[in-house]
Amino acid sequence: MAEMRYNVPDNQWPDHPERATLEGKNKQLGFWVFLGGETVLFASLFATYLALENSVPSDDHLLTYDLFQLELAFVMTMFLLTSSLTSVYAVYHMRNNNFAKMQIWLIVTVLLGAGFLALEIYEFSHFVELGHTFRSSAFASAFYFLLGTHGFHVAVGLVWITLLILRNARRGLSVYTAAKVNTAALYWHFIDVVWVFIFSIVYLLGVI
Amino acid sequence: MAELNQKPLTDVQLKQRKLERKIEMRHHVTSFSLMIFLTFAAFAMVALELDPLIITAAVIVMALVQVILQFYYFMHMKDKGHGFIRLFMLVGMYFAIAFVLCYVLIVWIGLPIGSV
Repeated sequence: MAEMRYNVPDNQWPDHPERATLEGKNKQLGFWVFLGGETVLFASLFATYLALENSVPSDDHLLTYDLFQLELAFVMTMFLLTSSLTSVYAVYHMRNNNFAKMQIWLIVTVLLGAGFLALEIYEFSHFVELGHTFRSSAFASAFYFLLGTHGFHVAVGLVWITLLILRNARRGLSVYTAAKVNTAALYWHFIDVVWVFIFSIVYLLGVI
Repeated sequence: MAELNQKPLTDVQLKQRKLERKIEMRHHVTSFSLMIFLTFAAFAMVALELDPLIITAAVIVMALVQVILQFYYFMHMKDKGHGFIRLFMLVGMYFAIAFVLCYVLIVWIGLPIGSV
């Protein structure tokens, strides 16, 4: 069991609280193994999408340049990119043993992530109205499966960080809770990494 | 208590440590501005309708730079003690690129087997 001392004075707070315990170190290493696996998962989805992109059996299907609105993709990118920075701020305050500010930045991160998810849901419902559904074609299935898996990861991240905020609200910071916050932040950055490829490869290269 | 058994820091050491973190945070903000700039540049290139081949190459390069910034700065992969982590991610990336190349070549663009 990891160290459970809360409200440690600043001068005894370790330089890297998230790696101060063996459990924290293992958690970090193990989480990166998981992220390596996630990379492969998303790679197979990207590969499927690229192989099937716009390859539809007849010309009455909507294609990428009929569908994508760059303005919306740009706003979504800004939301997710900014939320990545706010989670960096949360980790910064965690390292400085400033619990209140850490919580505030985590809340901002969740709000930005929720904004992203709301826009994605709006976009999908708009596509479905246009007649581009999961069952339209193999291209449409690959599209929804890739973006849907990413959207699902965002949703999981939102629930994860919200639970951390609530669970830690009363107990505060210790090297035990610091490792948890750090892991959630890593996950959130990884979601942003995947989105960078989605907006570049799916959206931008889809409309040229 | 084993983990917190270190000697309490003096005020000077504490100040020094906070300053170091502040400098690191400034690096983070710089890399964030760079990411925003790259995003703007990528969207602008597509909006300006330049040559598709140039756009494709530039957008992929800019995406890779952004990802490296995320991994190395935001996710602290540049810090020491991240050797195994780098190994995991490199292996992941290797499979990622192999998957994309294989699928793209096999499924659609490549000629059907026996047609040559």
